[in-house]
Amino acid sequence: MLTSVLTKTLRDQGRLLLAWALSLALIVATYAAIWPSVKSQPSMSDFIDQMPEAFRSLFATSSADMSTPTGYIQVELLSFMGPIAVLIYAINAGAGAIGGEEDRHTMDLLLSNPVGRGRVVVDKFLAMVLGTFLLAAVMGLSLVLEGNLADMVLPPDKVAAAMLHLALLGVVFGSLALALSAATGRTGLSRGIPAVLAVLAYIINALAPLVDAFDRIQEASPFFQYIGQDPLRKGVAWDSVLVSALTIAVLVALAVPGFRRRDVAG
Amino acid sequence: MSPETRRGREDNESMVQLAGLTKRFGRNTALDGVSLTIGPGEVFGYLGPNGAGKTTTIRLLMGMLRPTSGTASVLGFDAWRQSREVHRLVGYVPGEPALYDRLTGNQHVAYCSHLRHRDDRRRAAGVADRLELDLDRPARTLSRGNRQKLAVVLAVMSQPRLLVLDEPTSGIDPLVQQTFHSILREHTAGGGSALFSSHVLGEVERVADRIGVVRAGQLVAVERLQDLAARSLHRVRARFAVEVSAAEFGGVPGVRDLLVDGHTLSCNAPQSALDALLKLVSAREVEDFECSEAPLEETFLSYYGMDGQPGQTPPAAAGTVARTAAGHAH
Repeated sequence: MLTSVLTKTLRDQGRLLLAWALSLALIVATYAAIWPSVKSQPSMSDFIDQMPEAFRSLFATSSADMSTPTGYIQVELLSFMGPIAVLIYAINAGAGAIGGEEDRHTMDLLLSNPVGRGRVVVDKFLAMVLGTFLLAAVMGLSLVLEGNLADMVLPPDKVAAAMLHLALLGVVFGSLALALSAATGRTGLSRGIPAVLAVLAYIINALAPLVDAFDRIQEASPFFQYIGQDPLRKGVAWDSVLVSALTIAVLVALAVPGFRRRDVAG
Repeated sequence: MSPETRRGREDNESMVQLAGLTKRFGRNTALDGVSLTIGPGEVFGYLGPNGAGKTTTIRLLMGMLRPTSGTASVLGFDAWRQSREVHRLVGYVPGEPALYDRLTGNQHVAYCSHLRHRDDRRRAAGVADRLELDLDRPARTLSRGNRQKLAVVLAVMSQPRLLVLDEPTSGIDPLVQQTFHSILREHTAGGGSALFSSHVLGEVERVADRIGVVRAGQLVAVERLQDLAARSLHRVRARFAVEVSAAEFGGVPGVRDLLVDGHTLSCNAPQSALDALLKLVSAREVEDFECSEAPLEETFLSYYGMDGQPGQTPPAAAGTVARTAAGHAH
């Protein structure tokens, strides 16, 4: 596991990723366990229907029907808990990528080997991508397998599509954190700015039906790329995937020169 | 600056070349126009008080910092633009060796070996053995001295052409320092060079060929250690049967700290002044005489002052290369 910056970074995150994976499986198990009682309570859907519109927009995706497994998971997991978990992991991994080694003063040791700075950035990025996709995969597998046990049957291909979009959401903000970390070396800032922007992006996407100004920019929100086209019902929205991939590519392309041109903190 | 920095030629005369190297952090000038050259097989002792610019120089040479102006190069490779090529040639011990807490010594060796695309595990084990370092322990459990040893192992294991050592023996006990010195001598015997920083002369005097003194970001002196030794001061004390006056001995060039009190004389004198001084002394009736060589450290302090304050002006003795760095940038 100590053969490259990429594998070393994954090794460092081993325990953390395991803990995240277990937590996600547990969260999904909790939702699956509650499902039978929700299914038999039609009042849950009425409750959501009766929410003020703004509130419903924030916490439930439009036209969510709590009486079906798909609607239930969309409201309970995909609109809030799922993205929060993936974003926390990805933003932390991105922010710690470069700044973290500088905080621990190990960057001098790493860079005194014949490893280019661009290579370090790309390897750290790949580690963050793999970690994020791993977590999304664990969540998807849990949904399908644990869902089957609780009679909460979800179509695996649609779950996979939703998880692809979820992972890309994480990687977009993780790449932003990484670009900031590479260009500034400041871990706190690299964590804080993406977190704030993620909240804004969430609000813009959620309240777009209600606020004209948000409606106009909704499609720029990474949350729109994530869930705006309803992947759990309709499958992969390739245009959104492309937008996310391009965003990520631009951020990584900025991260490399950002790290190359500055002093490394000793 | 210099046209050859792009090429990186093996036949380049100098292992390290700093040319007008300047680094500013905001308004603070950490390094101000430092120029020096280190040849093959040479150990260069880089001396100065803490905060004088030693670590800044070293981190510029390692490509961790970008020079504000001037260049640093290793075998013709530019330290900033061609840092990968430089790192292939250099072993580096950082000032505060930071290690990966959760990795053992062996895991550090494995990681760095992979990054260098070499297998240096056997050599690393050999060096660790000589330094009496246990490579199986995680870095977080190592004492400061042992962390330093591990940093040394990682720096020398790839048999680099140049060792860049930022206070490598601080925290290491004297016995292990000797082992370290012999490792360094083996390195130079094979044509390798070293830049060895310290804030005390004692640490480098046994291994350095030349020393450079940096103070407040400027290189204030570069000297061959043997030249410094030749100017090493002798403490001279004499008691006369007759009363003497300071004026009788004042004319000897190089004599410092002259104190004459009735029948006794005491002063510090470089080797070059001893003959003239002795002739003056022996012209009078001597009751007691004492002459002992002062430690090099004392000589050094007397000339350059290491406490951040300028010492007395170094004598403009022939053959020395005491020079101030040119090109002050403000």
